[in-house]
Amino acid sequence: MTWVNFFGNALDPKVGGIAFFGIFLSLVVFLIGQWLFKITNGFFLCQPLFVGMVLGIFILWLLSKWFGVSLPTFYQAAYKPGGDILFWFLNPATIAFAIPLYRRNDVFKKFWLEIVLSLIVGMVISLVVIYFVAKAAGLNNAMISSMLPQAATTAVAMPISAAVGGNSAVTAMACILNAVLIYALADVLIKVFRLNSDPVGAGLGLGTAGHTVGSAKAVQLGSVQGAMASIAVVVISIVVDIVVPPFASMMHLF
Amino acid sequence: MASNQQSAKTTEAEHEPAPILQQMAIFACVLFVSSLISPLFPASFPVPTPVIGLVLMYVLLASHAIKLYQVEKMADFLISLIAFLFVPSGVQMANSLNVFTDDGALTGVMLIVVIVLATIILLVVIAYTTACFMWISRKVFHKSTDVQ
Repeated sequence: MTWVNFFGNALDPKVGGIAFFGIFLSLVVFLIGQWLFKITNGFFLCQPLFVGMVLGIFILWLLSKWFGVSLPTFYQAAYKPGGDILFWFLNPATIAFAIPLYRRNDVFKKFWLEIVLSLIVGMVISLVVIYFVAKAAGLNNAMISSMLPQAATTAVAMPISAAVGGNSAVTAMACILNAVLIYALADVLIKVFRLNSDPVGAGLGLGTAGHTVGSAKAVQLGSVQGAMASIAVVVISIVVDIVVPPFASMMHLF
Repeated sequence: MASNQQSAKTTEAEHEPAPILQQMAIFACVLFVSSLISPLFPASFPVPTPVIGLVLMYVLLASHAIKLYQVEKMADFLISLIAFLFVPSGVQMANSLNVFTDDGALTGVMLIVVIVLATIILLVVIAYTTACFMWISRKVFHKSTDVQ
């Protein structure tokens, strides 16, 4: 038995122990990302999650070429069992966001009406604009549907994307790119659009567009922005769940 | 990345954190109840389990049925891991790389362009809408909008 065969057996779902490869690969690529992020002093394309995604796909692609199978087949057989185990932990991690929200309950209680109204109205306006931008860019309906729920956190956005006829993998990628872009562009955008003139608005905007990275960015602007962003990260997921399915069916996307 | 709220002051009195297994049990219980509620919603209006769990957890905390010290440690741990937990959902694209090339070579570029624009749209629109609503509640309802 050559060691290529041995390695092939280790990746064979029937042999067992298969889930370890996915978990191991995820950890390694993420740690490489963290290391790159550190040595490049926070270059925006070196965000650990983004590096993890690109490098993970690249390594899977290399291995699939080596074993002479297609990339989706190899992904399904070798990575998915382990990836699914890690992915499951997004469920408790998502409900854990209730705790930072509760910690800022003083602010949330005082402004809950403004926050909820702003997020719902802002979300509807954004959806209309995103819909027409995507339409103008010539994307097909499945891709447009995938673009709509990206403001929600990944664990919420993916099932909604699938329910409105989108591709949940594309939505997950959009969520990751959102964070990368906000990390890179937030300072410029805030200056150009004078967003910081209303600290509450800047906070909610950053939390919506940049997820947890956006809320880390907002903390640098001030404690009000930070509090609002961490509220927005949580509340927008619920708003997306309420707003996106009716919007998508209104636009006959599925 | 999201652990920035750890330094935020908590209003409740200092308390020893509950044993980690009890904290896990609370999370498991909330998730289990949510997973029972989630299928009750129609397919055209899906409410994923984490959304229900999020609301349920917040309601339990706000109604003081659960104290902060009973879930805090577990929650901070999970939130500190969140970026890593997103890796499998990103790698999932390996399954769908064909969407970049299916409708011609430009689709992939356009898809990225739309994501970039959508990020900017979300940030700017939400910020301006909020500024608008804050202005209304300041000028029309004479509500103080100082946050501190």
